[in-house]
Amino acid sequence: MIVLSISFLLTIIAILLLILFFFTMYLVYQRQRESQLKTRRDIYLHNYSQIWYDYLFHDEPFSIVLVPRGKAQVEAIEIIFSSYLKNLMNENVKKVIKEFSNLYLKKFYEQDLLSKRWSIRMNALYRIADLQIDELLDTCQQFEKTRISEEEFFQLLKIYSLFQPDLFMDKLKDQNAHYSESEYRRLFVLLEDDVFIRFFDDFDNWPLNIRFAVIDTAAVKRNMQYIDKLKHLLSSDISEIKVRALKGLYEIGVIDEIDSYVPFVTSDMWEARLMVAKIFKHAPITYTYAYLEQLLQDENWWVRSQAAKTIAEDRQGLEKLQDFIESSNDPYAIERAQEITARKQENK
Amino acid sequence: MIENSKRLNTSYINIGVIPMSKILNTEDVMQEHEVKRYFEIWRESVLRSRLTFTAVFLKLVHPTQESAIRNQMTTFLQLKIRKTDLLFQLADGKHWGIFFLQSSDVEAKAFLKRIFAILKEEKEFNHIALKASITEIRNNNVNFETLITKNKQRLVDNELSTWAIVQVEDYREQPNEQVQVSIIEQNPIFRKVLESTLNQLDIPHFTLAVTAYEDGYSFLQSDTYKTGHMHLIVMNDILPRKNGLEILHILRNMPNEKKFIIFMMSERNSEIAALNAYEGGVDEYIVKPFNLRLLEAKIKRTFARFWL
Repeated sequence: MIVLSISFLLTIIAILLLILFFFTMYLVYQRQRESQLKTRRDIYLHNYSQIWYDYLFHDEPFSIVLVPRGKAQVEAIEIIFSSYLKNLMNENVKKVIKEFSNLYLKKFYEQDLLSKRWSIRMNALYRIADLQIDELLDTCQQFEKTRISEEEFFQLLKIYSLFQPDLFMDKLKDQNAHYSESEYRRLFVLLEDDVFIRFFDDFDNWPLNIRFAVIDTAAVKRNMQYIDKLKHLLSSDISEIKVRALKGLYEIGVIDEIDSYVPFVTSDMWEARLMVAKIFKHAPITYTYAYLEQLLQDENWWVRSQAAKTIAEDRQGLEKLQDFIESSNDPYAIERAQEITARKQENK
Repeated sequence: MIENSKRLNTSYINIGVIPMSKILNTEDVMQEHEVKRYFEIWRESVLRSRLTFTAVFLKLVHPTQESAIRNQMTTFLQLKIRKTDLLFQLADGKHWGIFFLQSSDVEAKAFLKRIFAILKEEKEFNHIALKASITEIRNNNVNFETLITKNKQRLVDNELSTWAIVQVEDYREQPNEQVQVSIIEQNPIFRKVLESTLNQLDIPHFTLAVTAYEDGYSFLQSDTYKTGHMHLIVMNDILPRKNGLEILHILRNMPNEKKFIIFMMSERNSEIAALNAYEGGVDEYIVKPFNLRLLEAKIKRTFARFWL
C-alpha cells in the first residue's frame, strides 16, 4: 500500500489549483482580447462602411481615417473589401482596393507570413491573392524557401498565377507536390486566356491529371479559341483524353463541322459514342440524323437514350422518331424512341 | 355596337380606290353617344393595365353638306384602320374620331401621315382636304365630353393649314406609381450597397419604396409582399432561415403573383442553376459578382416595358 502524507496531497492539490487558476486567467485574458478585437472591428465597420462606400463608388476624396490602425481595423477592412469583391464587378473599385492594400495592408500580411501559426500564414496568403497585393511577390518567394505545407504552396501557386504567370508555369513544372485534378482546375480557372492556352503547346509533357484539368477548364471557360485545341486532342492515344475533349467541345457548344466527330459514332468506347450523341444536339439534324439513327440502335442504353433525346429536341424530331418506330425492327431502339417521344409529348 | 361591328367588318386592304358597292352610309359607322361607354372602360384600363390609347379627330378643311363626300371619307377611314381601332362619327356630322387602342401618339401620327399621303395622291379624293388632332391618353383625368370639346376647339382654328396635325397634350402625363422594393441579402455591407443604389435609382413615373431584409424569414414576416402594389424583389438564392428558392416558390404560388418582379442573385455561374431559377419563375438571374450599373439598367428596362 502506498502511503501519502496529507501535507504532500495538499501540496499537489495546491499546485493543480494554481495551474487551473493560471489556465482560467489565460482563457479569460484571451476571451477579453478577442472580444475587444471584435468590438474595435465592429466600431470601425459601423463608423467607416459608409465612408468606404462613398469613396469607392461615388469618388469622394480619400480620408486618412480609413487607414487601419491595428489588427482589428485590418479585419474590418478585409470584411468590407471581400463583400465588394465577392458581390460586385467594378474595375475601378478593384483597382482602388489593390492600390490601398499594397499601400496600407502590405505590412500586416508581411508580418503574418512570419507567424508560427499555420492558420495565420494561410489567411495572409489568401488575402494577398484576393486583394492583389503584388508588392509582396518577392516576400512570397522568400516564404516559399522556408518549410511550408502543401496547402501553403498551393496558395503560393495561386498567387504566382495571378502576379507572374511565367513563374507559375515554371513552378508547376518543377513542383514536388501533387494536387488533385479539382485543385488544378481551381488554379487554371484563374489564369488569363493567353496564359492558359500555353498548356496546349506542350500538352503531352504535362502529368496526366494536369492534362485532364486543362481540358475540363477549357470547357468551363467556354472560349471559342479552345475549340481547335480540343479538336486536336481527339486524335490522342489516350481514350480518357479523347472522351474529355469531346465533353469539352460539347460544353462549349459550337459545332462548325461534323466530320471530326463522325469517326466516334463507331468508337469502341461507349462514352465517346454518348458524347457524340450529345454534341450532335448543337448541329442541324439534316446533317446528323443518319448518325443519330445509328446511335439510336447502339448496344448501350445511355447512347440509345441520348440519341433519342437529341433527335427529339429538333423541331421535326418527334416526326422522325415516329417514322423510326414504324420502320425499325430493333426492339430496344424502338423502346427508347417511344419513351422519349412520350416524355416529350407530356412536357408539351 | 355588335351589330355595327358586323356591318363594318370590312377587310383590311390597303387600296386607294373605293368601289361604290363598299361605300358606307353615315349611319353605318358608330356614333358619338355609342362610343362614350367604351371610352370610359378604356380610360380606366389606362391605369389598371397601363394601356395607353390615343384619340385622333379629323375634320374636313372645307366643310360640306354633301353626304356622299362624308360617306366616301367614312368608308376610306374604315378601310384604313386596324381591327383594334374604333372609328366613330361625331354628333355634329363634321368630325370623325378614331380611338387607337394600345397605341401612342407616334403610331397615330404615322397613321395620319399615311392616310394624308394617299388622299393627296389619289385623284378620286382630290376634292378632300383634312386637318387632324391627336390626344394621347395616359391617365384617367379626362372625360369624354371634355376630350371632344378640346379637340374640336383645336380644329376650329382657321389658321390651321390644310393637312395640319395638332396635338392636345393635356392627358399624356403618366401617373406616378408606387413600387414596393425588397432586398433580401445576408451580407450587411452588400445589402447596404444595394439599398443605397436602389434608393437613388430614378425611374420615370415609378416611386420605389425600398426595404432590406437579412433573411427570407424576416421578409415573409414583414407582410409587405401581401400588398397590392407592384413589388420588385432583389434576393440572393441562398439565404438563412428561408432560402431564396423557397421564397420564389411561395411568391409564384400566390394568386396575384404577376405583380412580383423577381431578380435572383447567385454565386453559381452554371446553366443548370440559371435554368432552374428561370423555370421556378425568376425574371432575371444575375451571377455574382456583377456590375451595379448592369443591375440598374436591367431594372430600368423592366419598368420601361410597362408603358408604351
